[in-house]
Amino acid sequence: MLSPIIIGQVIVNGLSLSAIYVLIALGFTLLFGIMRVVNFAHGAFAMLGGYALYYLYGKYALPYPLAVPLAALIVAVLSLVLETLVFRWFYQKMFQSMIGLLGLNMALMFSSVIIWDVYERSIPPAFNGVLRLGGLILAADRLMVIGIAIIALLAFWLFMTKTRYGVAMRATADDVEIAEAQGIDTRTIYRLAFLVAIFMTALAGGLYAQIYALSPFMGERPLIVAFVVVILGGMGSIPGAALGGVILGFTESILSTFYGAAVSSFVSFGVVIALLIFRPWGLLGKPE
Amino acid sequence: MMRTSLKAATIAAALLAGTATTYAQEELKIGAIGSLSGGGTAWGLALQRGVTLAIDEAVKAGGLKIGGKSYMPKLVMYDDQYTATGGKTAADRLVNLDKVKYIIGPIGSPPVLASVAVSSPAKVIQLSNGFAPAILKNDAKSPYNFRVMNSNTEFGPAMIKWLHTNYPAVKKVALIAPNDAVGQAVIPTLVEAYKANGIEVWTEMYDRGMKEFTPLLTRMMAQNVDLFDLNSNAPGEAGLLLKQARQAGYQKMIWQVGGPSVDEIINVAGPLADGFLSYETFDFSSPQAQAFDKAYHAKWDGIINAQAPGWYNAAKILFKALETAGSTDVTPVRDALMKVEGYDSGMYGPVIWGGQADYGVAHQLLLPFWIVEVKNGKSVIRDKLTPEKR
Repeated sequence: MLSPIIIGQVIVNGLSLSAIYVLIALGFTLLFGIMRVVNFAHGAFAMLGGYALYYLYGKYALPYPLAVPLAALIVAVLSLVLETLVFRWFYQKMFQSMIGLLGLNMALMFSSVIIWDVYERSIPPAFNGVLRLGGLILAADRLMVIGIAIIALLAFWLFMTKTRYGVAMRATADDVEIAEAQGIDTRTIYRLAFLVAIFMTALAGGLYAQIYALSPFMGERPLIVAFVVVILGGMGSIPGAALGGVILGFTESILSTFYGAAVSSFVSFGVVIALLIFRPWGLLGKPE
Repeated sequence: MMRTSLKAATIAAALLAGTATTYAQEELKIGAIGSLSGGGTAWGLALQRGVTLAIDEAVKAGGLKIGGKSYMPKLVMYDDQYTATGGKTAADRLVNLDKVKYIIGPIGSPPVLASVAVSSPAKVIQLSNGFAPAILKNDAKSPYNFRVMNSNTEFGPAMIKWLHTNYPAVKKVALIAPNDAVGQAVIPTLVEAYKANGIEVWTEMYDRGMKEFTPLLTRMMAQNVDLFDLNSNAPGEAGLLLKQARQAGYQKMIWQVGGPSVDEIINVAGPLADGFLSYETFDFSSPQAQAFDKAYHAKWDGIINAQAPGWYNAAKILFKALETAGSTDVTPVRDALMKVEGYDSGMYGPVIWGGQADYGVAHQLLLPFWIVEVKNGKSVIRDKLTPEKR
């Protein structure tokens, strides 16, 4: 088992998985970090991102580089209605948000069943090939996800650190009252943060649906992944989400390859439980 | 004027009489359980649609003629989410709330075993499809429980023997299966059949619902296997396993002694599905398939899952038994089911019950089956096999 090719493949698989997991977790952790909302409807927004990409790229054949961000943007903009109707009532109310948004998740999921049926669909792949580097093999669509994850993380970091709105978001996340005292319109900042978070979630959902499969129920797995990644990295921490995604991706790759799926699941969730006991704020989070 | 009034009165009387006849017909609830969400959705829809087509035919013919009365069958179906809990809940609702006497479905060992545990004590006839031998082989000896499609006990040994004859170079096979009642029931049977043909087996289990198999497939490829058998995986997972195996660089043979879910696999894996071999329950190129295809597409779009004709066939056999029994009572219908051997619904040929040697009860419907290969995105028949009556 321990040949250089296998070890190389484990690293490649780990990178590919990490990229997907980081993308999935970003929107989830942003909503919590700024508004203290545990978005149990995260998977439903990912699913809506999948359907948006299905129509724009799969049905209407828009160019892929345009279809991917446009699909996410459409879902994010339309979701502002839900921000007004549902989300804003749960800002800074962590426990209430869990139950309320679980209900929203079910409403979105079963509305999708009515609209799109329960059939699993597939979004045509943008790239079908397999790249071979020496003995290593990497599917082209996974390479694309790694690229998009790097771009998304970089753009996200630049937005949060180099723009006025990003700085205002961080200030609001640190202390709402002081941010308002400094003249920040926190209502606008919340809406903007919501828009960005849902954009990231829908973007991840589109790619997830394309790599795996699209159905109204596809959101269950992304929600679990986002939870595990964010708990590992620290609720609300963007670098934490990146670190959590990489840890989960590589853990799964290494353990599944060398010890099988059961050991991988057992250890992954075991680590999360241990972390919740000994460091409940996660690796890069802040204690409440 | 008088003649016009008389004519109108006659028409009105005829209409009233017609209405009265309609009211005289009784409704006959046909319970059904299937996966309408999750990885087994394609199978659940196949069940729902197959049974619906059989019911449509019966309704169009004026209902089922049972003991001098006409009964209109009505489908009452619940989603089991392809889980044991879902299967039990659905059976509880059908038996206790809807008071059905016959249940068609579900598909898959976990929901079947859970629902049979409800239907058998309640003396409700159940026509299901799951691979676990315990579905038929149990302490109660399955008094009201029938399996209406081949399980891997019927088609597995025949397929593996065919493989050994046609691909003698295959010496080692990989089985990656869900770690639930389906996988645990199917794997030992398949391992035994492969070993009986001198083929070594490597197995791995995963949690159902998993979507990312690349690390497991890397593990599999390190075992240097000649063949990857998708065995009992549901259509969604089977498609992903095939797609990810090809993307991970696995170039050897992939087939499925199970399913079947060829169209769904083509849908998920696209051109990567070419060369894939599978068990298939129906020959869509046959003449009898054309009529079914026409009736199906008059109601629904898209691909027809190969289980749909099987469920249509099961419903037709149940209807035949009801008419033969001349009663809607469970025991006469159960006895009539055993006597419909030779009846042909037009899909698979005459009814043959088997399974006495394997399960201690001859409640296993034996159906012919096919081996198909995906060529240029299309499923092409390679061979037709028949299970042995034991």
